[in-house]
Amino acid sequence: MSSQHVLLSPAELSYLHASLSLQPLPLRPDGRSPTQFRPLVAETGILPGTNGSARICFADGTEAIVGVKAEVERTVQPFTQDTQTTQDEGETPAEDERRKEEVGGSDWVEMTVEIPGYRDDDPTTVFLGQMLQEALLADGEFTKRLRINGRFHWKIYLDILLISPPLSYPLPLLSLTTHLALLSARLPRLKSEGDEDPLFDDDWAASTYVYPRDNNKKDGKDGNNKVVARPPVTLLVMAVGNNIIFDPAREELAVADVALAVSVGEETTTTTTQTGGDDDVDMEEGSTPGKRRLRLLSVRTIDPPSRLTPPGVPNATNTAYTAPTGTAEAKTQDGARTLETERVEGVWKAPRGGAKVMVMAALVAKVLEKGGVADEVLDGLEAVDLG
Amino acid sequence: MTDRRRINGPVGATFPPVFVYEGEDAVKETKKTRSRPPNAIRKMYLKTGVTPSASGSAYLEIETSAKGSGSGLKLSCTVHGPRSLPRSTPFSPHIILSTHVKYAPFATRQRRGYLRDSTERDLGTHLETALRGAIIADRWPKSGVDIIISIIEGDQDRESSKAEGDESWDMMNALSGCITVASAALADAGIDCVDTVAGGVAALVRNAADDSVSNIVIDPVPSEHEKILAACCIAYLPTRDEVTNLWFKGDLGASDMELYTSLVEKGIQASKYANRVLVECLGETVG
Repeated sequence: MSSQHVLLSPAELSYLHASLSLQPLPLRPDGRSPTQFRPLVAETGILPGTNGSARICFADGTEAIVGVKAEVERTVQPFTQDTQTTQDEGETPAEDERRKEEVGGSDWVEMTVEIPGYRDDDPTTVFLGQMLQEALLADGEFTKRLRINGRFHWKIYLDILLISPPLSYPLPLLSLTTHLALLSARLPRLKSEGDEDPLFDDDWAASTYVYPRDNNKKDGKDGNNKVVARPPVTLLVMAVGNNIIFDPAREELAVADVALAVSVGEETTTTTTQTGGDDDVDMEEGSTPGKRRLRLLSVRTIDPPSRLTPPGVPNATNTAYTAPTGTAEAKTQDGARTLETERVEGVWKAPRGGAKVMVMAALVAKVLEKGGVADEVLDGLEAVDLG
Repeated sequence: MTDRRRINGPVGATFPPVFVYEGEDAVKETKKTRSRPPNAIRKMYLKTGVTPSASGSAYLEIETSAKGSGSGLKLSCTVHGPRSLPRSTPFSPHIILSTHVKYAPFATRQRRGYLRDSTERDLGTHLETALRGAIIADRWPKSGVDIIISIIEGDQDRESSKAEGDESWDMMNALSGCITVASAALADAGIDCVDTVAGGVAALVRNAADDSVSNIVIDPVPSEHEKILAACCIAYLPTRDEVTNLWFKGDLGASDMELYTSLVEKGIQASKYANRVLVECLGETVG
């Protein structure tokens, strides 16, 4: 991202910064409200060769495709004290089973991000991939779903492709697309039992969803079955002055004081294979907007590109304008230090230093707020036809 | 991209088995617990100017947590620059920062290759974010600086076989060390910064398996705790009271915002302690 130049002059940057820090409401270049996302088009199940896929197209023309592929892989059994002692003691099989189930390797998921114009080992690409992977693995629920039996597991390959050039920081787009692709991902039904070599049903219609759904419940107008659990979403949020702005476009990010990527998951009180009265009640609560119990999974500071923007020259020091040329020599020698303390109104200067702790806390709190943006986004994604 | 020009070790390497000698009791005894109070960091050794050929350099060592084997975190950082950019690079009004973090192949239990993998690149990006806030970048237009950190020894307990899956939490400790050592090396190179930035880690841990009480400790060692629920690494500028990099990872309910806030506060506290070591070390060099 750091190499991504925004072609805005210092004067434009200053204007943009001023309009985005207006009180009580910022004036965004595209007329959105501070918490409004860009409109998007989403569809799932577009790639027949994958276990699950999704495509999202933002109104500004950025478009991403995600394909989920799964392979059966042998689980590495490390020779540890633990296995040794459990065998010696002859612990109950249930206990043993539980312990095994808890283990899910972070290497069971492989995520690659491809952005046109960037090398695959570019820091930006790696950073995006790691961030999305971190959120997915944070609660440890996802890897549990990939377990087949004690000896085998599914290895999931998530290939994220940005088709359009990166017109804005692609994090929200990639995260939402990954979310939908995972929701639509299906794995063949297991026919074998216990720790035998896995044998699968070749009827694709009988396949099960990675994120299971409740067949008894229909979700609103689309007739989707209700999804019990959902993968996390990562939101990009930034602060300019005293304003908090969601889903910033590229120009807006160029004047950000601080930018955070916040990953949010939804709490699942139900287990993966549930049938019972209590669970239904829980899910009912979860589905009502504003009643969703969110979980904070990860927060990362994004290096705002504003630090790399060219500074403006105030008239007082501009020799081409009014500043006396005679004393300019003395001024620039001594000036380097004095220039930094003053901040002239209307002249752009790249922000320096970090962000106040309170600002960062406010950003995170705003994301997690009940009935806030995270809720809204998850509601919006629920409406997508999962095929 | 694979490493084809070097003779690498075998791929299917295994760990040496760890045998249990004296039954169940011995296992219980070897399980480590935290001996420090929850708000104390481990002892730290920092020295600048260790690499004469670089413009600035620093070496950081953190006290070991393992009994017997002396393997704490050992980091060496060199700063090259500021120097002019190659002719082909477009004009930049600011200094261009490039950070490399590399584990030595022998630094961790699992051997690392010579090429940087995604976690190392990720660490590099975090470090860049942390330092960019501290450096006064517009004093060096058209120039670049390279910050190279080699992790000579990772903070991993070789004796314990249970420490599987702790690597992701070790990354946080490594990052905080990287931030502190890079800050010292930048100061040694004479690159203007708004303040010395130092890293600190705080974690929400659970000490017993069936214990529902979780508490916050600073500078956590993953093998000393039963389970780490969440951790946060902070890069903090003490005189400006600002955070240049915040990295939180874990699983916290949205209703536990107080926990999150106190985790960040403890991270800042850890960073302040590290900063004290840093300032003292730089004072020694000057004085």
